[in-house]
Amino acid sequence: MTALVDSARPVDVGGPDAGAASTAGTRQLLRLIARRDRFRILLWLGGIVGLVAATAASITGLYSAQADLDRYAELVRGNAALIVQSGPGYGLQDPAVPATTGAVVMNEVAIWTVVAVALMSLFMTVRHTRTEEETERAETVRALPVGRHSELTAALVATGVTNVLVTFGVVVTLLAYDLEPVGSIAFGLALIGSGAVFAAVAAVAAQVAGGSRAALGLGGVVLGASFVLRAVGDVGNGVLSWLSPIGWAQAIRAYADERWWVLLLPAAATAALLVVAFELQARRDLGAGLMPERPGPSVASPRLSSTIGLAVRLQRASVISWTVAVALFAFLYGVVADQAESILEDNPEMEDFFAQLGEGSVTDAFLATATLILALLATGFTISSVLRARAEEVGGRAESLLATPTSRERWAGGHVTVSIVGTTIMLLVAGASEGFGLALVSGDREWIPRLIGATLVMVPAMLVTGGVAMVAYGLSARLAMAAWGYYAFTLVVGMLGALLDLPQWALNLSPFEHVPAIPSEPMDWVPVIVLVALAGALFATGLTAFRRRDMS
Amino acid sequence: MSVAISISDLVKTFGTTRALDGLELEVATGEVHGYLGPNGAGKSVTIRVLLGLLRADSGTATLLGGDPWRDAVELHRRLAYVPGDVNLWPNLTGGEIIDLLSRLRGGVDEGRRDDLIERLALDPRKKARTYSKGNRQKVALIAALASNVELMLLDEPTSGLDPLMETVFQECIIEATREGRTVLLSSHILAEVEKLCDRVTIIRRGRAVQSGTLAELRYLTRTSITVATEQPIVGLESIDGVHNVSSDDGHVRFDVDGRSLDQVVRTVSQFGVRSLVSQPPTLEELFLRHYGDELEAANGATGRDESVQGG
Repeated sequence: MTALVDSARPVDVGGPDAGAASTAGTRQLLRLIARRDRFRILLWLGGIVGLVAATAASITGLYSAQADLDRYAELVRGNAALIVQSGPGYGLQDPAVPATTGAVVMNEVAIWTVVAVALMSLFMTVRHTRTEEETERAETVRALPVGRHSELTAALVATGVTNVLVTFGVVVTLLAYDLEPVGSIAFGLALIGSGAVFAAVAAVAAQVAGGSRAALGLGGVVLGASFVLRAVGDVGNGVLSWLSPIGWAQAIRAYADERWWVLLLPAAATAALLVVAFELQARRDLGAGLMPERPGPSVASPRLSSTIGLAVRLQRASVISWTVAVALFAFLYGVVADQAESILEDNPEMEDFFAQLGEGSVTDAFLATATLILALLATGFTISSVLRARAEEVGGRAESLLATPTSRERWAGGHVTVSIVGTTIMLLVAGASEGFGLALVSGDREWIPRLIGATLVMVPAMLVTGGVAMVAYGLSARLAMAAWGYYAFTLVVGMLGALLDLPQWALNLSPFEHVPAIPSEPMDWVPVIVLVALAGALFATGLTAFRRRDMS
Repeated sequence: MSVAISISDLVKTFGTTRALDGLELEVATGEVHGYLGPNGAGKSVTIRVLLGLLRADSGTATLLGGDPWRDAVELHRRLAYVPGDVNLWPNLTGGEIIDLLSRLRGGVDEGRRDDLIERLALDPRKKARTYSKGNRQKVALIAALASNVELMLLDEPTSGLDPLMETVFQECIIEATREGRTVLLSSHILAEVEKLCDRVTIIRRGRAVQSGTLAELRYLTRTSITVATEQPIVGLESIDGVHNVSSDDGHVRFDVDGRSLDQVVRTVSQFGVRSLVSQPPTLEELFLRHYGDELEAANGATGRDESVQGG
């Protein structure tokens, strides 16, 4: 009897948090993540470090003399159009202070590096928390002697370690280009800070949302809001930038009289968000969000009678949220476009700079650039929408449909159609929104139809990238992810093309290089028609290839 | 006898794995054909070839008189499919999915749909992400059973259902065959096949190892018995239908055909039964018992199979 009592251990039924045991097994889960993500991590690492290295190489090459750097600073100074895209340009603002290579590199690439690290952290954290929960794998893992918080902890540690790896690569790269060590380390710490904040944002989103897509969407909204807040803040009096994690990353002023205390902001925000995430997780059932699941209709609406109807239903939320995000961004560009001109009135240097971009006015040149950036961002939707078919196939949801009298072309064509129509609507709304923003400040309503035209001209180029995605997917579900590599290429060419000094044939591989830059260039129908035909041919080829292969 | 499915010398490889290795299968119109095999034998690959989701490397497959790869869309008007692993759209309700699949197949028989939902006790208003494996399977089953098709391809359709629902499922299949439908039922559960199927094909490592009516494959319905008696049992071997007798420490083990069970029990009871355990043999046991030698020889010859363990 005594022996029995002695060996009996108190059973911890666990309150909201069952103590140290709640992170048991984290080490093993970390190993699993490392095994599953080793190539992904390498790709992110290579991509982000490559972006920084390419920029640093081109800046050190192009601006070797102090006079060149000062000329660059003069172009950037107070230029709302550039500030919206790059940030306040610390180290370039004061004509009395000579510009440094570090400050120029930061102005070119810092914000995109921060955004890339933020995206990486969002994706990685959600992938190993909420996405896992949607599969039966999470149950298998939770049934092991693994704590309730182990998966979240492992996901966060893995994301943190990846952030540190990427940062290390970036800092070493900057040092290799002979940039000041202090500034390089400051930028590195800012990267780790923003990575940590967005990993923590993702951790909270994973608890609140009802699924992984919703969690990613929520994280994306926070990232988008951070970008817009700091854009408005940087152009204005700067107050709003202090509400944005991207703003914090820039506020450290790498290479420009560093302010180290700024690092407290991401640290505090990360800590607070993590407390919330772990608290929420302790109170939540596996697989459930905070919102209770409401019963839905027991009968399908007549719209849900075809595969195209299903594709619309599956992608509806994504089309709407992308459209809203792109429209907001476009509106912002429209509002600041008017300032581009007024700032330039007493700056002949800058007028020269913009004059190279096109034949029209400075405002026109700014709008052409803004439209290109909007289109490049929205292409993310075009591709992910085509590749929704892949997600359906890999998730095992295609075979039930393909066992009905539905041809493969028809099924995949449903997602392609949503991609084409969604892209067109998105750009239409973006053009209208950009035009509306500009009309609001300039009083000239003519901008609305002009900018709708400018954005719609981008659609064929976007569809060409969608067509490339369809060809890759048509050949194999594994190869499909190469489409994101092509997308990254068009982004780099579009945003940094001139800077990177790429050969013309390489630039020509991006369809966006062939689109007339309206409104600063006149309309040219030839490339537009060629791109439409090319997109059509790519979609047709992809669908034909898809019909011939095995389904996974 | 008209033929619903006819497969001959079918080969399908994935890299170096031969998932189907010269498969032969024939399913007559109107029958329930059991398709038995252990995990990884190639049952699902066969069905996916029949659905035109995979293209065979060589051999011929005919489905309802057509080519399953070339005529996929036309043939799918006449068949319904329940996958072994049912994946549904997490944010659609069960009812919506049943309607979608039925409409794609050419229309919903609403009376039948509602009847099936009631009999299988599914809540059609719940989002699919909240369904258990069994409930996901019910969604696919209802969509298949509610449609008016000639042929049903069912890939381990009851692996997530509880025994009560399994009985309902069996009733539904019996009703379907009364209406003249053909069913290909893949399974690794012998008892299920025994209840429903007219004929059975057994597949192992991509090859049909045996095919015939259940009576022809009588050994499938044998019972394994372990018995301990007061006095040593004599005369067991001489009973027709008793096989593989072995004794160990007062326990006697043997297999007996269903028709001889009565006689065996009478015989054994004369010796004073202290304990008696009877169980249907598992499929793996049957395979090992009946093809063990053959498998070993095959292993020796090709060194391909690592999964067979002694026992």
